[in-house]
Amino acid sequence: MSGGTTPAAGNHLAGTDQAKLFTELSRGNLVTTWRWYLGVGVAGAVLLWGVIVFMYMALVGMGVTGYNKPVFWGLYEASLVFWIGLSHSGTLISAILRLTHATWRAPVLRGAEAMTAFTLMVGGIIPIIHLGRNWRVYYALPYPNSRELWPNMRSPLMWDAMAITTYLLGSLTFLYVGMIPDLALLRDKSAGWRRKFYSALSLGFRGTHAQWRRYHVASTLFAILIIPIAVSVHSIVSWDFAMAKVPGWHSTIFAPYFVVGAIFSGIAGVVIVMAVLRRAFRLGSVLTPMHFDNLGKLLCTMTLLWGYFYFTEFLTVWYNRNPEEWEVFSSYGGHYLPLFLTMIVCNFVIPFPMLCLKRVRRSIPLILIPSFSIVIGMYAERLLIVVPSLARRNDPFIWANYFPTWVEFSVMAGAAAMFVLLYMLFAKFFPIMAISDIKERLFHATDRTIGGATVESIAQVEGEEEARA
Amino acid sequence: MNHKWAMAIDLDRCTGCGACVVACNAENNIPTVGEAEAGKARLMHWIRINRYWEGEFPEAQAIYLPMPCMQCERAPCELVCPVYATYHNEDGLNAMVYNRCIGTRYCANNCPYSVRVFNWYDYTWEKPLDEQLSPDLTVRSRGVMEKCTFCIQRIRRAKETAAEEGRAIRDGEVVPACAQTCPPGALLFGDLADPHSEISRKLQDPRRFRLMEHLGTEPRVVYLKRLKGAGQ
Amino acid sequence: MSTVIVGLFDGVETAARASRALRDLSLPAGSVTTISAVPLPEGAVVTDPQPIRFPRIVIAGWFVGAAAGLGLTLATYLLYPLVTGGKTIVSIPPTLIITYEVAMLGALLATLFGGGREMRLLRYPPKVIHDPRIHDGKIALCARVEGDEQARRAIVAMQGAGGTDVRAEKGEL
Repeated sequence: MSGGTTPAAGNHLAGTDQAKLFTELSRGNLVTTWRWYLGVGVAGAVLLWGVIVFMYMALVGMGVTGYNKPVFWGLYEASLVFWIGLSHSGTLISAILRLTHATWRAPVLRGAEAMTAFTLMVGGIIPIIHLGRNWRVYYALPYPNSRELWPNMRSPLMWDAMAITTYLLGSLTFLYVGMIPDLALLRDKSAGWRRKFYSALSLGFRGTHAQWRRYHVASTLFAILIIPIAVSVHSIVSWDFAMAKVPGWHSTIFAPYFVVGAIFSGIAGVVIVMAVLRRAFRLGSVLTPMHFDNLGKLLCTMTLLWGYFYFTEFLTVWYNRNPEEWEVFSSYGGHYLPLFLTMIVCNFVIPFPMLCLKRVRRSIPLILIPSFSIVIGMYAERLLIVVPSLARRNDPFIWANYFPTWVEFSVMAGAAAMFVLLYMLFAKFFPIMAISDIKERLFHATDRTIGGATVESIAQVEGEEEARA
Repeated sequence: MNHKWAMAIDLDRCTGCGACVVACNAENNIPTVGEAEAGKARLMHWIRINRYWEGEFPEAQAIYLPMPCMQCERAPCELVCPVYATYHNEDGLNAMVYNRCIGTRYCANNCPYSVRVFNWYDYTWEKPLDEQLSPDLTVRSRGVMEKCTFCIQRIRRAKETAAEEGRAIRDGEVVPACAQTCPPGALLFGDLADPHSEISRKLQDPRRFRLMEHLGTEPRVVYLKRLKGAGQ
Repeated sequence: MSTVIVGLFDGVETAARASRALRDLSLPAGSVTTISAVPLPEGAVVTDPQPIRFPRIVIAGWFVGAAAGLGLTLATYLLYPLVTGGKTIVSIPPTLIITYEVAMLGALLATLFGGGREMRLLRYPPKVIHDPRIHDGKIALCARVEGDEQARRAIVAMQGAGGTDVRAEKGEL
């Protein structure tokens, strides 16, 4: 094999000023600007407004929304699917890229995992928001009670409850355990209350050889476990619709269709969040155009996959012309045409050509265009699944249209603000860059001369036995 | 002895007058939502008269279809309630438990006949209209689903009376408000478990059909086809 | 409380050299370990003789979770037998779904607690050896020794390989 090898001492970590790297990557934790306070203030204010409007709705009744008969589900339920969908971001980036040893994943890990945890929190609150009697939500809990009744496990909503709880605990655990080495780093580098804070959170992790070995196994196990959980969660959320006797909902394709859509919107969300982090914390040297290029390629693949699933759904209905389903799909060309066009244009027509171009993928301002477009398009897609099927369902006599009111918009804006607020608080107090993973990658990276070219070579430690010299 | 309550709706007799709707509203403490809410498709009628048009003006014909709750044997609404607020009781009725309902509205989505209605507000009855409220059943709070119960309060009353008198319920003793009021007598209610009841005999009529049977809900409300006259 | 000789090294090479020098002392297996900011491959500087056991707990956790999910669902069906939608009281597909989810939750929690326990967390300096300078690129090599003779030889070995701030500390590895 041609090409010389350089000694391991020439690894990139050895050539890095680690103190400087730490300051650069921890800028969010060490320095607080007025912009952060402003952001938190605005997000907090919108959240407060959302909470007040929600309480108004709970006190007066759901009549203040745009819901009616037969459209009993609308913006809230579509948003639920949307937010749970966004939570597939971290799972894909963290778990799948970790298991496939993708070498570029390190700077994106933490931000994506945090996104998963917080979008799940928002998605987990919406089932409480959409209830007619929210204050009685505890009826759905199985515990000994004076009503002498437990919940109905046959209901897809109970499967939702189980699945979202498992996924939330799983993603929080994944996020937290992934942070332990970085929390140990922050502990060792800080003083005062911060030192106590990180000391408690890092659980005494030191970095001994035995600890790292077991940490690696635990991280791998988490990654292996969280992927089937994520797939099952969004399948179960899709079954809220697929189990129903509603034309346009009762389709076997819903589970994979929703999972694909979730990963699709999740990656778009990660691109946006990464771009914001890069700007806010000046992480340009760590989050490079290469990372956005790779994310863009994944996004392009998902655009095609989503397009394929949507076409399949349409194809079967068009071919069969089952009257009940056909009425629903016809409305896409009628009353719901604006929503339908928004979805098609934002999910496929804009992103696909753009993401095929390397120039777009490697430019951060340019890649934000298809990313935002996809987030909007996926929101429209969720609305398009929920509303027309109900508005044009079995009995034509009771068909009615639906449009959300200021109440629904306010509460959902509050939910979005909750995500922003949680994320900003997290980025301030916790390491938003996976410093240990970045260092580990630098440690494995050396420059290797192959003929006349010098390339970066990353050592892959596949298994324990192989590493033994 | 368990009953099998069922209803037969003779479309040949129904004139679409809507008296059944009014009677049901009066009997079951159903609020009148007002013009604005009705315009937002939030009527609270437990039984409604569907009206379909056949043909074009000036030969257009109206077809009236009264739709109470079908009390399906395989009710899709019962299955999806996360808190067991609706279930199938021993009489074959789809029972609705207002106190248990937390308002997910999944049952309403799963009803293909769209017979379930939701309390969007805490509706009020201005004095002296509150004096017309029936004490036999509750007034539902906001956030709770409701639907036609085949006047279960009347069924209960008949069961209690019959038990006191130590006899079985006679055929024709239980009459829901809609059947009681219908001027042309299009609605018939009775117990299918009794082979001699009027409804058991009526449902041998070859005109019988059930709505949306292909969905497999097995409704307990049976319709009798409208006869269109000789040669049609 | 054992005596541990700790030395700081600039990189993997010097640490490995010191580790090789320490082999002459014939210390028991598992007496020498590194403390580093990045995980070092097995055998690069030291080896870890203890097998990793907790994946078995994870599998056990999966089954415990499955049993819990199954139990929860069956208990709910049988304690409150209400007919819904014409389905049987014990409905199998929903049971499978709930069982699966709780099983995964069980496996997750088993990984968290089993892994945490085997990583021997929740032990803090000065009870255990630690050196915060590892975050500046240093690797700390720690050797647990018995008696002054071993301690002296360990210090000499580490200093000879290029270690800085070689000292004896009292604590656990």
